[in-house]
Amino acid sequence: MATATKERGALTHPDVQHLSDVNRDVLKALGRPGKGWWALLSLCMAGMGLFFAAWGWQIYRGIGVSGLMSPVGWGVYITTFVFWVGIAHSGTLISAILFLFRAPWRQSVYRIAEAMTVFAVMTAGLFPLIHVGRIWHAYWLVPYPNSRFLWPNFKSPLVWDVFAVTTYFTVSATFFFLGCIPDIAAARDAAKGLRKKLYSLISLGWRGTDSQWHHFGKAYIFLAALATPLVLSVHSVVSWDFAMSIVPGWHATIFAPYFVAGAIYSGVGMVITLAVPMRKIFGLEAYLTTKHFDALAKLCLLTSMIVLYAYLSEFFIAWYSGEEIERTAFWNRLFGTYWWATWTMLVCNGIVPIMLWFKRVRYSIPALFVISIFINIGMWFERYVIVVTSLHHEYEPWAWGIYRPSIYEVSILIGSFAWFGFWFLLFTRLLPPVAIAELKEVLPPPLRKQAKEAH
Amino acid sequence: MSAMVKDGNVLLASYEYLDSTVDAIENLRKAGFKTVKAYAPYPEHHIEAALGYGQSPVRVFTLVGGLTGTATGFAFTTWTSMDWPLVVGGKPIVSIPAYVIIAFELTVLFGALATIIGLFILSRLPDLKPSVIYDPEFSSGRYGVYVEAPAERVDEARRILNAQEPAELREGTEAAHA
Amino acid sequence: MTMTDGIKRRDFLKVLGVTGAGATLTGCSTQGVERLLPYVVMPEDITPGVATWYTTVCEGCSAQCGMWVRTREGRAVKVEGNPNHPVSHGALCAKGHATLQHLYNPDRYAGPMVREGGTLRPITWEEGEAMLAQRIQSAAGNVLYVGQAAGPTMSGLVDQFVGTVGGRSVQYDAVSSAPLREAARIAFGVNALPRYDMGSARFLISFGDDFVEYGASPVAHQRGFAHMAAADEHGSKGRFVYAGPRLSLTGQNADEWVPIKAGSEAALALGMASIIAGDGAAAGPYASVLAAYDARSAAEAAGVSEATVRELAERFASEGPSLAMGPGVGSHHRNATAAHLAVLILNAVAGNVGRTLHLEGGPNSAARPYSEMESAIRAMAGGQVGVVMVHGANPAYTLPQSSGFAEAFGQVGFKVSFATAPDETSAMADLILPDRHFLESWGDSMPKAGVMALRQPVMQDVPHFDSKQTGDVLLSVASRLGSPLGAVTFYEYLRNAHQAMHMPAMGDFETQWREALKRGVMEHDIEMSGTVPELRAPDTALVFDAPALDGDGDLTLMVYPSSRFGAGEFSNAPWMQELPDPVSKIMWHGWVEMNPATAEARGLREGDIVTVASSHGSVDVPVWPYPGIREDVVALAMGGGHTDYGRWANGNGVNAMALLPAVAEQPSGAFVTMATRVSVSPTGQRRRLATNDGSNGDQHDRPIAPAMALADLGHGGGEHEGDHGPLKELQGGGGFIPVDAEGGAPAAFPLAGAEYGQYADKENTARWGLAIDLDKCTGCSACVTACQAENNIPWVGEEQALMGREMHWMRIERYYEHVDASEASHLDIRFLPMLCQHCGNAPCEPVCPVFATYHTPEGVNAQIYNRCVGTRYCANNCPYKVRVFNWYRYSSENVPDPMNWQFNPDVTVRDNGVMEKCSLCMHRVREAENKVALEGRGTIPGDGEIVVACQQSCPAEAIVFGNLRDPNSRVAQLVQSERTYRVLDEFINTQPGVNYLKKVTFHAVSGGHE
Repeated sequence: MATATKERGALTHPDVQHLSDVNRDVLKALGRPGKGWWALLSLCMAGMGLFFAAWGWQIYRGIGVSGLMSPVGWGVYITTFVFWVGIAHSGTLISAILFLFRAPWRQSVYRIAEAMTVFAVMTAGLFPLIHVGRIWHAYWLVPYPNSRFLWPNFKSPLVWDVFAVTTYFTVSATFFFLGCIPDIAAARDAAKGLRKKLYSLISLGWRGTDSQWHHFGKAYIFLAALATPLVLSVHSVVSWDFAMSIVPGWHATIFAPYFVAGAIYSGVGMVITLAVPMRKIFGLEAYLTTKHFDALAKLCLLTSMIVLYAYLSEFFIAWYSGEEIERTAFWNRLFGTYWWATWTMLVCNGIVPIMLWFKRVRYSIPALFVISIFINIGMWFERYVIVVTSLHHEYEPWAWGIYRPSIYEVSILIGSFAWFGFWFLLFTRLLPPVAIAELKEVLPPPLRKQAKEAH
Repeated sequence: MSAMVKDGNVLLASYEYLDSTVDAIENLRKAGFKTVKAYAPYPEHHIEAALGYGQSPVRVFTLVGGLTGTATGFAFTTWTSMDWPLVVGGKPIVSIPAYVIIAFELTVLFGALATIIGLFILSRLPDLKPSVIYDPEFSSGRYGVYVEAPAERVDEARRILNAQEPAELREGTEAAHA
Repeated sequence: MTMTDGIKRRDFLKVLGVTGAGATLTGCSTQGVERLLPYVVMPEDITPGVATWYTTVCEGCSAQCGMWVRTREGRAVKVEGNPNHPVSHGALCAKGHATLQHLYNPDRYAGPMVREGGTLRPITWEEGEAMLAQRIQSAAGNVLYVGQAAGPTMSGLVDQFVGTVGGRSVQYDAVSSAPLREAARIAFGVNALPRYDMGSARFLISFGDDFVEYGASPVAHQRGFAHMAAADEHGSKGRFVYAGPRLSLTGQNADEWVPIKAGSEAALALGMASIIAGDGAAAGPYASVLAAYDARSAAEAAGVSEATVRELAERFASEGPSLAMGPGVGSHHRNATAAHLAVLILNAVAGNVGRTLHLEGGPNSAARPYSEMESAIRAMAGGQVGVVMVHGANPAYTLPQSSGFAEAFGQVGFKVSFATAPDETSAMADLILPDRHFLESWGDSMPKAGVMALRQPVMQDVPHFDSKQTGDVLLSVASRLGSPLGAVTFYEYLRNAHQAMHMPAMGDFETQWREALKRGVMEHDIEMSGTVPELRAPDTALVFDAPALDGDGDLTLMVYPSSRFGAGEFSNAPWMQELPDPVSKIMWHGWVEMNPATAEARGLREGDIVTVASSHGSVDVPVWPYPGIREDVVALAMGGGHTDYGRWANGNGVNAMALLPAVAEQPSGAFVTMATRVSVSPTGQRRRLATNDGSNGDQHDRPIAPAMALADLGHGGGEHEGDHGPLKELQGGGGFIPVDAEGGAPAAFPLAGAEYGQYADKENTARWGLAIDLDKCTGCSACVTACQAENNIPWVGEEQALMGREMHWMRIERYYEHVDASEASHLDIRFLPMLCQHCGNAPCEPVCPVFATYHTPEGVNAQIYNRCVGTRYCANNCPYKVRVFNWYRYSSENVPDPMNWQFNPDVTVRDNGVMEKCSLCMHRVREAENKVALEGRGTIPGDGEIVVACQQSCPAEAIVFGNLRDPNSRVAQLVQSERTYRVLDEFINTQPGVNYLKKVTFHAVSGGHE
């Protein structure tokens, strides 16, 4: 039996002695919400009010309430769409890929990450709808048999998007829920009254019998195996929305890997942003140790370097191509009307992460939190730069123009964070924020022999 | 579908320790008890080994689902293009490279859904009927061993289970259905 | 129950009817698309769904072009040029198209009204005419009729009326050619405007005559100019030199610009003349005048080098036949007549009289001078006028305050206005008897000697407005006064007049009248006197010196008629407000033109709002830096700053008249527009200019509008910049190697990659395309408005235009390549009509998720509005940026009733949230295709059978539509030209169906993609 314990390297705190301690500590988070939680929730609901008010007015009045114009037909909405899809990435990445690679530090963070993924996709999914001119016809992008046998154009990257994003949402949500089942069962066994009823329902009557665990394990592995290429594909497809066009600054082969790296970068950043406060509020220091944050920070550092490399190679290739229009596009990016956006992007995504080279920074929770905020800002501006600066300065000099986001676009951008936050807050109170069962998997199992020797 | 065990008993022991659980299971099976089941708060492969599990058939569902997705992806895109051929941007009516993406996404989608269906069928989920043969501790810190013993062998089963010093031992006549 | 028992056929039909109606009501998502006219008794000439065409005469300006009006279900929906018209030859200007927006203008007077205590009370025509008659009676012969240039018969009626009731009539038109007419009288004793035959000239010099914008006949002049200035297949091209302080649109078309000082035209012309005369040419009685001038004096006066003057003179004499044109309205200064005389002398000594400049007498198309108005104002101020009637003119707006018109007019006891729609003058009137719009009324015009064009109502008067033709009013008032004028209606009066002129030799009058109404014109060949008039000694003393200017500002103010608004008549037509000004490309608001150096010296940037002040008044207006104006001149356009002219005009721009004194030029009596100096001071405020020019006229060395040197013509083009070279592909070791590009010649259709699927067997389809000759295009923008009228393109208003959301399917890009205001040099400004290029490999098509845009077998890039979801991906991916988006419900929100009557029923009205763009007038193509199919002539209409809207209205005939696949079609022929290129094609292989022929320059085109 001793051999059984060797392979296990739990990254948890020493004072987690017994398996049941995990239930105690984690399920504590599901207790009565404090004032702070209610305050945040009402803040988010206010934000959602703003969000739907602005959107409703836009639908009623016309997409013209945005600042969009010719030549800039895509703006804050598409920027924010790509931003949230990007956020959605690290969740499944941390969960699936690290699961397959058996990364020992995964267990503590993946539940938060997956929840973030699901809610981020739910947020991102709204933006194509917000963006189109005739939302009441948006369902035409879905292939359904209609009287005239009009089918969508499968050559259009936008249709690829529809498939990629819906698939991603379905699979991530399934993966998330599957992982939750045993922990919901645990919560069920600890809960009383209404909550017990609710948990019994959504735990689908899980009892942790050998056969359940057996098939569960396999199913989980296969889902992880399917989700991994999916993670990489989704943001590649999103990047092709741009790369498939002929717009200077969009039409680049580097886009798919560049976007995937960026997505992971921003996603991990967001995980840190969310994990830091949760750790404090729910007292999960024992499970979210500085070792975990160190690992996340290293992942940020790696992806930030890939992203920076992509930026630089774009500029270099633009120059090296000798293509006047391409060169102008990138020169304009750095020194044109939107220089401030470009430099914000470069500083946040290229310069700030350099600090992560230092161990002291990686082990300082406050420092990481601040840096993660910079990462979020930087990655939003990256998409803004790609979308707007490329469009406003294209082939036809006569048609160059300046785009100014309207108050409605800004409201919807802010509101989207509220919408995301609303769901995330509900999650923190209704589902175990840390994977109970899997944590136990990495704890040393209780053995009678050792207990005897102890006495 | 819980049922009475023909003139016999069911026993459910819960253990604090993994090794005692595993030993109990192994001994029961050595003694030739047919229906031995285990409960655990987390996936424990020693228990699975003790119960002699092989490969799970879930993977078949995954494979079939995935392949169906791929086929659907290519067939559907090609058919709709031929159904009303329109030239866009001077590209071929049927542009396979573009359709690869659709096929890929459907592969993953169908594969994943099939896997879940497989899991539910094989592990008989969802199952919302409350069962007496369960202890909330199983989702927390304890392991459980369940055995169905014909009347003449109840004592033997009890002895084997007690040998590993269970934290608790329950007996009844109502058989578990899972 | 079944059909057999009980239910009656009638009930059944009722049900059908109801459900049908229901379907119509629910089926239509956009309001006011079209009024359904149920025909109980079918009116003659109207077949539902079939257009009926009527000829008439445009009254947009004094040029009076012939018109063809397309009516559908009894509504005029489009005006086009009448090809039978001997002057306008079937073309039409932007303003001509916009006259429709006057016809349907919601601001028109609803009916006759009388002013009581400041407010207008509706009355009946009966009351109105009775009131007028009674007042005229009591006025006892002190009647003043203020009119505007009108057709001969109407003028005749007015004179007769005024004669009968006692009083006098004056005419006033802010845009007048009086100085030219006076100069012609002095020089040759011919009291009429000379006729310019530009077509046969080879060297043209304009001393500020802006014949493209206004004047005797802009359309005819442009046609002649294009013929003269565009390179022909033999590689020969006439030269056009513009001498003036500011480049008007006309000036922008010049090959050379001599930026002379304001008011120095006479000096330069006489200097040139004396050099030519010195070489023995006859100066007649003006030899002594010429003796006082030479190259140096001319150079000094004009502020150019002596060499320039000499060179100009020599080429004017040698590169003939030549033609010189005198200063236009923009440079009507205190010595304008003298300047015109000088130019006529120059023409005479160069021997152009009788060759390119004709003096046939003929119609008196120049309005009578301002001096008449002056005396009328004095009379009104002096209380010698009992009743004043204003018809057509709007002096309260077009005259400066200092003229005292408003005050004097106010003192008149009874003021009558015949204005169709409110204006600043009718706002002061006591009685308003709204005239009909010219498309609802009878009339005639005499565009040139021997030509009589008839005007007829093309539709019932718009029911919203109870109007009555002023001719009818005058006749009925006269008979009320007991002195009938021989006719009850103006129609009768008109017929009588023509019957009187009718010579039996021409055959039966009735048939001839009918014929005239059908063709729109009557031409009787009158014998021209073959004798060419000689120069006569002047009967008036004239000074040729630089004119005096008021004020002590450091900048000379130029006030010129707007090519969109004229003198302000068109300011309430939203099409004109939103048409980017051909020179400044600014929409809706006003601006002051200022040389960039001048602006910089004053620390002014584009959009800075400045106070332009003269000793007579001041206006606040944003600066638009313009390299095409001398550093010591600033310019303002007429037509802005209306106060009582309607919802679209009021408050847009500034009225330049506020800065001008009321001076009549001597001896012609014309109103002086270049009269004062001004000072310019910043107000500290700024605004963004509503322009569609995204790069300040710089094409950044990209081959958008390339050019070709004349010298290179006929040498196979060679390696010219912007050449449609072969496509290149990357080779292994890096670097590019040329490959044989399919679709190198557009006729090679289906294009590479486009021959897939069911399109492959479409051998019997056409490949529609355009050829646009940039050497002919003058940038006049008539096509833009024609397109807007034809395709139901809404206007968006200033606030939306500022955001860059204007909806035009066509735009005229204007790129400066070489503009130098400091010295005489070659000028290179390129115009490029940009519209959907209908690419063979259209980038917009594959990105649409719902197939809302795709490629038709005829090679047209189609846009299906109803399928559009509004992702705007297509617009992002369009390298030409010719796709426009409906950000709001522009078509319903911006277009009030009855303006929506103008909508073309053949074209969908687009709703909120859909993309749209040039359809290559697909509805016209289909119409023609159906026609040939019905006539059993196959499937493809013959060459020239389809004329698209832009092509139809182009005065320069620069646009040709046709079947690129048919090697004999005109368009296919043009595409073979060595000048042909396709925008950006060699960069991104879009393989457009729209082909351009490069502009041809005299100078070598400097390097890069200039």
